[in-house]
Amino acid sequence: MSEETPVKAVQVKLVLLGEAAVGKSSLVLRFCQGDFNENTSPTIGAAFLTQKCRLENRIVKFEIWDTAGQERFHSLAPMYYRNAQAAVVVYDITKAASLEKAKAWVKELQRQANANIVIALVGNKLDLVSDTSSTPAPPASAESPAEDEEDSSEEPSSTPSPAENESDDARQVSTAEAEAYAKESGLLFFEASAKTGHNVGEIFTEIAKTIPFDTISPKPTTSQSANRRSGANNGENNNVNLGEGQQAKKGGCC
Amino acid sequence: MSLPLHLRSYREKSKDELTRDFFNVPLQASLPGPSDPPFVVKMRERPYRSGQEELQSMDINAVISVEGKEEVYAGRLSLLPPFLCFISLDRKSCRCTIPLYTIRRVERLNSRAGVFALSLATWHGMRIILQLTSLLPTAEHFAILLRDALKSQLAAMKQLKPFLPSLYSEYLLSSPVSSAAGQQQTNDHLLLGTELNEKAGNVGTEAESDLRGPGGEGKGIYQRGLGEQFGFPGDARKMRERSKMKLWREYFMIHGRNLTLLRYPPFQRLLQVGLPSRLRGELWEVMSGSVYLRFANPETYGLLLSQNAGKSSQSTDEIEKDLNRSLPEYKAYQTEEGLARLRRVLVAYSFRNPELGYCQALNIVVAGLLIYMSEEQAFWLLEVLCDRILPGYYSPSMEGTLLDQRVFESLVHRCLPMIQEHFVSVDVQISVASLPWFLSLYINSMPLIFAFRIVDCVLAMGVKVLFQIGLAVLKINGEALLEVTDDGMFINLMRSYFATIGDSAHPDHPDPRVRAITNFQELLVVAFREFNVITDETITAERKRLRAIISDEIEKFSKRAAVRNLKNIGKFSKDQIGIIYDHYFSAICSPEAGPSTYSGNAQPLSGDQFDQPRIQVDAQGRVETRIDHRTFRVFISQIATWAREETVTTNAFIQRTDRRVADHELIDRLFFAWDSQDQGTLALQDVVLGLNRVMTAGLMESIEWFFELHDKDKDGFLTKDEVIQLSESLLFIFRNEPGDIYLAAVSKFILNAYEFGDATAPEGSVDERIPIDGDKETASGARERSNSSAGPHNLPYLNLATFRMVVLADELLENFFANDLTASFQLEQTGDEDYHQAHQRSEGLLGGLMNLVVTNENKNRLNRLADGFGAALGKHAEWRKPALSKTIEPSTSGDLRARESLLTPAQQAGQFQRQRSSSAVSQTSTKTVESTTTVGTPDEKRSLADVEARYREESQMVKAAQEAVMHRPNFAIDAIGDSDDEEGAEGEGEEDVMDEVEAFLKAHGDDDSGLKGEQKKVAEDLLKAEPMGRYQGKKKESADLVDL
Ligand SMILES: Nc1nc2c(ncn2[C@@H]2O[C@H](COP(=O)(O)OP(=O)(O)OP(=O)(O)O)[C@@H](O)[C@H]2O)c(=O)[nH]1
Ligand SMILES: [Mg+2]
Repeated sequence: MSEETPVKAVQVKLVLLGEAAVGKSSLVLRFCQGDFNENTSPTIGAAFLTQKCRLENRIVKFEIWDTAGQERFHSLAPMYYRNAQAAVVVYDITKAASLEKAKAWVKELQRQANANIVIALVGNKLDLVSDTSSTPAPPASAESPAEDEEDSSEEPSSTPSPAENESDDARQVSTAEAEAYAKESGLLFFEASAKTGHNVGEIFTEIAKTIPFDTISPKPTTSQSANRRSGANNGENNNVNLGEGQQAKKGGCC
Repeated sequence: MSLPLHLRSYREKSKDELTRDFFNVPLQASLPGPSDPPFVVKMRERPYRSGQEELQSMDINAVISVEGKEEVYAGRLSLLPPFLCFISLDRKSCRCTIPLYTIRRVERLNSRAGVFALSLATWHGMRIILQLTSLLPTAEHFAILLRDALKSQLAAMKQLKPFLPSLYSEYLLSSPVSSAAGQQQTNDHLLLGTELNEKAGNVGTEAESDLRGPGGEGKGIYQRGLGEQFGFPGDARKMRERSKMKLWREYFMIHGRNLTLLRYPPFQRLLQVGLPSRLRGELWEVMSGSVYLRFANPETYGLLLSQNAGKSSQSTDEIEKDLNRSLPEYKAYQTEEGLARLRRVLVAYSFRNPELGYCQALNIVVAGLLIYMSEEQAFWLLEVLCDRILPGYYSPSMEGTLLDQRVFESLVHRCLPMIQEHFVSVDVQISVASLPWFLSLYINSMPLIFAFRIVDCVLAMGVKVLFQIGLAVLKINGEALLEVTDDGMFINLMRSYFATIGDSAHPDHPDPRVRAITNFQELLVVAFREFNVITDETITAERKRLRAIISDEIEKFSKRAAVRNLKNIGKFSKDQIGIIYDHYFSAICSPEAGPSTYSGNAQPLSGDQFDQPRIQVDAQGRVETRIDHRTFRVFISQIATWAREETVTTNAFIQRTDRRVADHELIDRLFFAWDSQDQGTLALQDVVLGLNRVMTAGLMESIEWFFELHDKDKDGFLTKDEVIQLSESLLFIFRNEPGDIYLAAVSKFILNAYEFGDATAPEGSVDERIPIDGDKETASGARERSNSSAGPHNLPYLNLATFRMVVLADELLENFFANDLTASFQLEQTGDEDYHQAHQRSEGLLGGLMNLVVTNENKNRLNRLADGFGAALGKHAEWRKPALSKTIEPSTSGDLRARESLLTPAQQAGQFQRQRSSSAVSQTSTKTVESTTTVGTPDEKRSLADVEARYREESQMVKAAQEAVMHRPNFAIDAIGDSDDEEGAEGEGEEDVMDEVEAFLKAHGDDDSGLKGEQKKVAEDLLKAEPMGRYQGKKKESADLVDL
């Protein structure tokens, strides 16, 4: 329905998830304002931004929820990812643990979020590692070329400058490993840098292309949401902040 | 994965605690000395103690008057050692909290008959007259308690003198009025209404430049924030800093300062126009009461830093990540100095309160505090914020934040129903915008100079201010909010409102004075005028109502997360995993699992609500909840039928089943077998895998794991000792089975094991055949003999194959391993779903009655009573539920008598009484119910009345709130006076500030509810009254200062 009128923007609710300080806010800032700031505040609760993205046949307007990464904000996340059509799960390629956290998010999204949610896995801070292991082409198009680089990481001396050497050591998550995981879990995959802007636009464009627009209903049915809220007095099912529970029901609208 | 254990130990605050909270008085005044661990001991259960003797609290009616002040107020005087607090009847006009260590002298005044009056002289030379208007004996009793409390403060008094210079107000009042006004060295500053500032204007450049009052870098030794060095936010001239400072100075001269500050009506007005920057830090700590903690714990901050120097933790890592992201726009936080201060305060607090650690948003709050406060001041204010003002906001499960968001939504629902309905209809949650407001005290939401004015009010008046401001924001934007159709519009609307909060609220108004009113001023007026119906009590009541819902949600959430994060769930279904989780969680929370730490140390350390050893840090440095073996016993007792003692007691009244946790080596063996990584504790994952193995086992697998459980060195052989231990384990499992057959089977098992064992054992393990004495062999007999035999008992003896053979040789044992053992692990619902709501409900109407019986103590008492009656009537009987068979009624089991030899005499006695008359049971059980009803009635009635009263109160309040909203009158601020050209320093007079002040005065209605007429006359007379005769002379001994 909505795709028949390419002039009118289609709204897409997108949520960013991932460990603290992996660069979620920075990616959003880069995407929305083309800017990078070394010192951003940590996100409290969540921040909200919008950005339009032009495809051949339509304009997509992203409504982006950039969430807080610290573990204790986890219980707030459902409030932001409910009804989301897309999610960008970010990890920091210089921190192995952040990929683990990303995997946990993916798992949660696949169980609790919209059934048709499009998830992109993004390894950020690519600028911190030298280019030996990342392919020059956007990783999205590179299906599996990085396989052998993982082993070759033992001889980092291949890069000339010592500064580069150091940053080469910074990589803790190999492209191959993350990509294999993404493939197996059915995720889009990118390595990007909010600092340089490398690959950032691609993430969102690719997501826009992947979203099955014909299944997006313009607005969630209000009867259900009214139901959810009116629970304030009977105490049942009014999970305002922790409402993972209703996701299953919501998924049914598609 | 750490679990929210603390939610179940939550309890509502007592009246005494609430009073202390109201007066910002710490629950414990002093911390252990510097040699002790520098933690504040949170002894909520105990009354305040000083040394050995216990100091009592007491309330009394009183009238307060202060020398030099017209107003006289009637109200309530509370002695909360070591503080004396007063609140006027209207609960807002006059309020004070005076530490007893600032009182130099107390005298009883010689006055008219029937009037009991005390005169207090404070450190700062104020004279306060307190007329105790209760009955004379009550007043005398109060005076005695006050005297005792005062005496206990002698040591603290000595610390006052060195402490005071850390406060700016001391510097302000001791320094000449204007820092540069050389010619003003006289005592002018003691006079009121001097015009020194104006004169000072044309003296040195220094004065010219420092509009924020005397002081600044290098002057005075008062504790100061980064602002003194890097500049305070905002334009000092525009903020009329100098006038504000002057007004405060005048206020201090009459109403006391810092520790002895009294809150009289002008205080509220000065507060709401924004505190002057240089005084702000001190007033924050005075208003919030954190200064009392700083006073009482002079060493703590330094010690926390030095003792934890170089340590790192998950919190310190998280802090490090956020340092560069804390108000980066403020200059100081672009320097190492500023960041180092921020780091130190956050790190010190994370060690001070390891349970809380560090929460994002604290970096922003503390970065804000440090602009106006020293590290130590900020540290203690942080303590008060996390502990009292914003309880649970920053804890790992953030239950306080979630709760207050729900409270906020509910208040929006009440006060702004249209907005609420609209948001429901477009499915937008208010908390998506409001959550950060609360969490960062608006510091991250609006320009700093305005946010800090909100912080001023929060610290002075409590958390209700956050709600009032939030409601006002929504109300002011009401029309636009009704146009909102999704989250995005809502957020953007709020963002642009806050961005223009310094702009004129009425830009097109013809009257320039109206044009000068900013959005922010309007916000405050709406907040404090229209939403003053939102009181502390409203918030408390709403929190109480909603807490259980939130707690259940958090528990369910963490359950889902914990279950989801399991790497391996074996063959269990999701529901079964859920049940395992419930048992795991309830075992941790159960009192039987007990606090495992407090051995020897009677005083639990901070963070005592959770048990340190149960929380471990996993490989990634994350906190993880694990159970120790004591908790495991509780856990397994809920699942394995043989791991608990179920005693069915029949007494004269009722039949009941008591469950106890059984204690046997077998259970510990299971624990260690499941502890695959030898951690000494089990994570949920370990327990799931352990259960998976035993619950899915068939005959062979069961035999195998049971064998392995007893093969300590895992060499594939049981030693002779282990064979005996294994038999004992079997006997333990069978201990309550009726009849002799299991006993016989185990006996036969031992005999066979030795027989086959000798044949198959590896060379050298067998020295001597065990003689067989016929069929009457018992387990203990076998053991005795095997002990007496000379053979080594610790050599490999019986392997799995042989063991299997022995087991299969016996039909009963085969059956046991094939079915019963596996079936003895049962996953039953715990009934813990909605634990909190279930428990809360019991406080309700019928529940009040239930509660009386259901609290464990009462239940036990009742049971003991019933047992006693039963015994007296000869109708008391007990029997143990067997672990394997379905509940077999003892009377139906034919061969019960045969086992009597195994029973203890007490049990035997009971056994004969089993033949009870069932009619007697049913008859008398109704009696039980009746008797509980009578017990319950009085309390029940009271609680009903309470509920009703509260209900009425609330509904009235709601009505009032709605009315207030419906007829929103013109803002008093519309009538605001002249707004002078702010460019000229000369033109800046306190009148301008007072204009703003007037607006609030009007907005707040008549707040001069002081006493009039005769009563006032009495109070005035007292000012002139002499102390009681015999105590007149001046006394130097501080012990004698108390003349009562
Ligand atoms: N070198 C480099 N640094 C980055 C990049 N992206 C972000 N950063 C830095 O990483 C830090 C954290 O960035 P944020 O964007 O605030 O991280 P976040 O994921 O939003 O963090 P939370 O809001 O706490 O969850 C900042 O200091 C950024 O400057 C990147 O692509 N390259
Ligand atoms: Mg962020």
